[in-house]
Amino acid sequence: MSTLPATQSDKNQLPVVQQIISVMWPSFLTASLATIIFFTVFDPTELGIIGGFPELTRMGGYTIGFFCFWLLTSISCALTCYFRRPTNKPINPNNSKPS
Amino acid sequence: MSEPAASQNNQSIETELYKKREKIYAREVHGIFAALRLLAMAALLGIYYGLPWIRWDDHQAILFDLPARKFHIFGLTFWPQDFFYLSMLLIIAAIALFMFTALAGRLWCGYACPQTVWTEIYMWIERKIEGGAKAQKKRDQGPRNAAYFGVKIAKHAAWLLFSLWTGFTFVGYFSPIQDLWTSFMTWTLGPWETFWIFFYGFATYGNAGFMREQVCIYMCPYARFQSAMFDHDTLVISYDEKRGNPRGSRRRGTPSADVGLGDCIDCGLCVQVCPVGIDIRDGLQYQCIGCAACVDVCDDVMDKMGYPRGLVKYTTENSLQGKRTKIVRPRILVYIAILTFVSSALVYGLLTRIPLEVDIIRDRNVLYTETDEGMVQNVYNLKLINMASEAQRYKLSVSGLEGLQVLGKTQDIELESGAVKDLPLRVQIDPIVLKSPSSKIMFHIESQTSPEISADESARFLGPASR
Ligand code: SF4
Ligand code: SF4
Repeated sequence: MSTLPATQSDKNQLPVVQQIISVMWPSFLTASLATIIFFTVFDPTELGIIGGFPELTRMGGYTIGFFCFWLLTSISCALTCYFRRPTNKPINPNNSKPS
Repeated sequence: MSEPAASQNNQSIETELYKKREKIYAREVHGIFAALRLLAMAALLGIYYGLPWIRWDDHQAILFDLPARKFHIFGLTFWPQDFFYLSMLLIIAAIALFMFTALAGRLWCGYACPQTVWTEIYMWIERKIEGGAKAQKKRDQGPRNAAYFGVKIAKHAAWLLFSLWTGFTFVGYFSPIQDLWTSFMTWTLGPWETFWIFFYGFATYGNAGFMREQVCIYMCPYARFQSAMFDHDTLVISYDEKRGNPRGSRRRGTPSADVGLGDCIDCGLCVQVCPVGIDIRDGLQYQCIGCAACVDVCDDVMDKMGYPRGLVKYTTENSLQGKRTKIVRPRILVYIAILTFVSSALVYGLLTRIPLEVDIIRDRNVLYTETDEGMVQNVYNLKLINMASEAQRYKLSVSGLEGLQVLGKTQDIELESGAVKDLPLRVQIDPIVLKSPSSKIMFHIESQTSPEISADESARFLGPASR
């Protein structure tokens, strides 16, 4: 998880497990929704033929589609977490912290 | 960033990451609500594992057939084109849940939520193999000997088997379960099916075996926003502070007044049984899933002490303050109004649904051709889907321009229930009537078997520029 900020020994930070969940879980939910809507409109076998994978089965298409969506949504969730870091923090936390 | 700082930080992250949560050893409870919950859970699990095996006509009664892209719900068959009805159904479910929450609080969480139901089952398996809460705790703090690992391996094996069965059943809702079973028995499951069985099984194993109350506290969106639906008339589980405090132990059968205490004997049992590890006596907390374990156990204590039951009970904020609880209130009326509206729209939509889907695609390669007889010809591909539950015979006509002729089958187009047919159509016209290079024409398809089933679909007819 290189996208998670490395400088987070603050007391008020969420525990890392919860941070991972807060990236993976909302992205899972939105990816599921996106998958349902996308494949209601598009048939994976037809997409497979257009994309040059005529042997793609529907189950395979749904699965690959779902994981692509999940990848995208988790990237955006991770970026949200990343950008939520305060910008006015010193780059090296040792400069400001007695510990 | 400098190296030492980074490693120091990584270290602190690691300790946070690996710091195990305090495992909650919830005591088993017996009582009215425990029995009710058991009943609800048995029913729900029975439905979950049994439903995909039930058949209706010649297909699985409930099947979201993803490989075939159609949904069977008993006698009804839905297609991706019917997505609208599905979303209506979801809206109805959501609003019903809102209303239910406003009325009954977290009754859903305690009795019906899959997370609770599977956690209970996994805890039950754990108790059968590992013994009660005390024995479990003792074992976990004791030595790591052969007996320890034997018991743990047995538990995880049982959990894993149950997870796999759960995953298998789950996939059975999306891919015909009997075929799935046959391929499972003959070891010929497709790669994707296998993947999803393991994926879902693993999720169940993790959520019900390990995450448990963490899911409710950190992951459940419903738990977070339910407070918006609560009001002073919502059914909650609460400790009666006025009656219970001051707390303190005393001998069995001593009337509270004699020792100058409230009715709570401070036995701490309500805390020991709580699956989310909170103390209900601290007031309503958002972690509380309303499982009523504390109600049962405290009623038991009250019985033993000879005090009236209900020190911890289902109640409402208003009734705790001595006010009257109103069931019918504006919020509920609004929910009822929305529910009635959306449900009637859904029923109306279903009743008037035309079980015929028509798609017309122009031949993309050629705009138009001129035949030897001097006619202008356009080629279309007509796609018909019979969404009715019986086979149909259709007839077809074209209108919009004078003298349109259809070459190809226009009568007795037979289609089985649920079948799809592609029909190439050549439409010709005398160029004299063409007023513009592109005109709108209408295809009309009507069932000869049941004439109320008909559909119109427009298309463009292309020709040479008008002369
Ligand atoms: S179970 Fe009842 S009597 Fe015992 S501590 Fe809880 S509230 Fe008090
Ligand atoms: S406080 Fe009581 S009702 Fe709430 S989760 Fe704990 S035991 Fe269940």
